[in-house]
Amino acid sequence: MPTPLTRRRLLSLSGLAVGAVALGGCVSANDSSSNGASGAASEGPLKPGSAPTGEITIVDDNTNKLFQASTIAAFEAKTGIKVKSYTQGNFNDLHDRYATLFAAQDSSIDVVMTWAGWSAEFGQAGWLQELDSSAVPADLIKPALDAVSWQGKVYGLPKFSSVQTMFWSKPLFEQAGVDPTKGPESWDEFVSTAKALTTKDRYGYACDIGNAAGAYQNFLRVLLLNGGDMYDADYKPIFNSEQGVQALSNFVDLLQVHKVMDPSSLQISNASDLGDLFAKGRTGMVFNWPFQYAVATAQGSALDASTVGNGLIPGMGVRSASIDGSEGFAVSKFSKNKEAALAWLQFVATGDVQKQIVTQEGWFPVSEPVLTDPASVKALPVLKTYQESTAYATKRWGTPWSSELDQLMSVQIINAMNKKTTPKEALDTLATQTQALVDKYLKR
Amino acid sequence: MTVTTRADVRRRRDLRFGLGLSLPAVAVVVLLLGYPMGYALYMSGFSWNDKLGSYHPFVGLANYGDLLSDPAVHRAVGRTLYFSAFTVLGGVALAVLIAVLLNVEFRGRTLVRVLLLVPWAVPPVVNGIMWKLIFDGSSGIMNTILLSTGVIDTRVQWLADPGLTMNVLIFAEMWKLLPFLCLLMLAGLQGIPSNIYKAARIDGANGWQRFRKITLPNLRGPIMFALIVQSMWSLKVFDTIFVLTGGSGGPAEGTTTINFLAYLVTFSNLDRGYGASLAVAAMVLIILVTLFWILLLGRRGDDRTEAR
Repeated sequence: MPTPLTRRRLLSLSGLAVGAVALGGCVSANDSSSNGASGAASEGPLKPGSAPTGEITIVDDNTNKLFQASTIAAFEAKTGIKVKSYTQGNFNDLHDRYATLFAAQDSSIDVVMTWAGWSAEFGQAGWLQELDSSAVPADLIKPALDAVSWQGKVYGLPKFSSVQTMFWSKPLFEQAGVDPTKGPESWDEFVSTAKALTTKDRYGYACDIGNAAGAYQNFLRVLLLNGGDMYDADYKPIFNSEQGVQALSNFVDLLQVHKVMDPSSLQISNASDLGDLFAKGRTGMVFNWPFQYAVATAQGSALDASTVGNGLIPGMGVRSASIDGSEGFAVSKFSKNKEAALAWLQFVATGDVQKQIVTQEGWFPVSEPVLTDPASVKALPVLKTYQESTAYATKRWGTPWSSELDQLMSVQIINAMNKKTTPKEALDTLATQTQALVDKYLKR
Repeated sequence: MTVTTRADVRRRRDLRFGLGLSLPAVAVVVLLLGYPMGYALYMSGFSWNDKLGSYHPFVGLANYGDLLSDPAVHRAVGRTLYFSAFTVLGGVALAVLIAVLLNVEFRGRTLVRVLLLVPWAVPPVVNGIMWKLIFDGSSGIMNTILLSTGVIDTRVQWLADPGLTMNVLIFAEMWKLLPFLCLLMLAGLQGIPSNIYKAARIDGANGWQRFRKITLPNLRGPIMFALIVQSMWSLKVFDTIFVLTGGSGGPAEGTTTINFLAYLVTFSNLDRGYGASLAVAAMVLIILVTLFWILLLGRRGDDRTEAR
C-alpha cells in the first residue's frame, strides 16, 4: 500500500534536502576551476603571439563609434583575425554584466572595456589577463597606462586618454557681461562668474552627482582642486583633512549658499546627460570629459566651435587640478583566444587609430607622438588645455574597492549636499568606512 | 494481512500516472527554482568575495551573523518595510475603493475598466523610465504641472532627495500594480449576490454599514490573496528601483531595499557569499510575511454572507 504523503513526511523530506545542501557546504568551494585567480599562477603574463589567428568577441561601453565604423574592418584586414561580434553597453550597466560573465567563467567574451577602477577590481579578482611588458607599446603616456594597471601589473592597454577640463558658453558669458575669451582662473572667480550666469531660468553651473560614481568623481575633483588627496602612500584615507572639508564645503555652498549649481545636478547620473544640458545652452559652465567638445559643436547644439570656451578647471588652494577618466581594453582570463585578443588591444593603441580617436571622436590619444603632433591640437583644440593640465595633479585612484567606496561616498556627499550632515561629519564617517575597506582588501 | 482490492490497484495506477504527468513540470521547477535557491543557500555558507582571491573558506552561519550587526542591512530592512507598508496596505485599500466605485453602474464604466488595465500592460522597465522622465527635476512634466497650477513655486528635485525618491518609487509601484489588485477585488465583488444589498437597504443599513458588513467579509479571500501577493512583490521589488535611480539604489541609498542591497553586494562589490546570505534572508522575510497574512486572515472563520 502506498504511504500517504503526510505533512510530517513532507517536513522530513524538506529537512533532508536542506541537510544535503548544508553538507554540500562542507565541500570545498576552492577548487582550482572556481575562479580566474587560480589560473593566474599556472600561466604567466600574456606575450604577443607571432601570428595570432582566429576570431574574437568584444564587449565595449558605448563611448566610441569609431571601432564599429572603421577600426574593426582595418584590424581584420591587417591581422586576418575576425571580430566575431562587437557589442556596446551603457557604462553604468557594464560592471555588473562583466562581473556576471567572469563569475560564470564565461569564455565567449575575449575583450572587455576597462578603466582604473575595474582594472584594479577585476585584476585583483584574477579575472583579467596580466600582460607581459613586451606586449605594452613603448610610446604610451603614463596616465593612460595607469588606467589599465593595478599594483605594478598591467591588465590591458588604453584605448583613449581622458581628463576633465572646463567648458563654458561664450554667448552666455557675453550676456552676463563676463569676458568670454577666458574662463575663471580661481574658485572665487568661478563662483562670481557662476552667479553672473545664473538667471531665473538657468543656473551658472551644473554637474553629475546623481549616481555613485558621479559623487566620487565630483568630490575627488574638488578635493584635488584644494590641494588635498584621497590617500597617503600607504593607502591611509586622508581626504577628511582640512583641505578636504573645505573643498566639500565650497562645493556644497555652490548649491546651498550661492545657489549657482543646478539642483538637478543631484539626479544627473552620467556625463552624457550633463554634456547635453550644456550643449542645449541650459547651463553656463561644466567640468566635463573631452567628448563635451564634440557634443557641444555637433549639429543641433546651441553652440559651435567658435562659441565653446575651454580651459583649465579653476582651483581653490592650487591653480588647477583634474580627474583622469582614461579607458582601455583588457583580455578576459577565461578567453580562449588570448593572443588574438591582445592583437586587438595593440591595434587600438597604434598611432593610426589614435589619430582617428582625436579627430573623429574628440578624445585624447594614448600615444605620445599623436599627443604632441600639431595636427592633433588643430583638430581638437581641447588638447591644448590637456597639455597645460599635465602640470597639475590629475588622479583617479582606481582601487579594488572603488565600487564600494563610490556607494559609501554617494551617501555622504548627497547628505552633505542636502544639508543633512556637515561636510566634516560626512568625510569623517567616510574616512572610517574607507579605512575598513582598505584593511579588507589590502591585507598587509 | 492486507487485501489489495482492484480499487487499490487502480488508485495506485492513477497515482503513478498523475505523478508521471506532473514530473516534467516538477523537473522544470526544481531546475529553475530549486537549483538556484540551493546554490544560494550553499554559497551563503562561504566567505566568497572574489576580490579577496581564490580561497573561499567555509564560514557556516557567519554571514548571517554579520547581517544582524550590519547597519546597511538594518537601513535596507527599514526602507523595505516602509515601502511595503505603503504599497501593500495602501495599494490594497485603494484597490478595494476603486473596485467598489467601478462596481457601481454608470455611463462609460466599461471604458474606465479597460483604461484601468493600461498600467498593468506597461512593462516594468518602461514604467520606471516613464516615471523617471515625469519626475525629472529640470524637465519633468510633474514640475511643469505643479508650477502652472501654483502648487509649487520652485522646481522640486524629486529624485535628488532620499525621502522624496522613496515616495516617487511607492507612487510608481502602486500605479503599476493597482490594475491587478482592482481587477481582483472587482472579481470578488461580482460574486456577491445583489439581493443581499437590497435586503440590507430594506433593513435600513447605510452605505458604510453595507460596506463593512457585506462587502468586506465577502472580499476576505481576494484581500488575503492581494495582501500576500503584493507583500511578495513589494519585498522583492527591483526593476523599478534600478531604472528610476540609474542602477544606483537612489540618492544616499534612499531606495536601497533589502533585495536591491543583495544585488549591490553581489554584483557591485563581488561579495557573492554575503550577497547570497542577503538573498536568503530576503526570501525568509517574504515567507514570514506571507505566513503572517495567512495566520492573520486565513485562520478566521469564513464570514461570507450567503444569499438565502
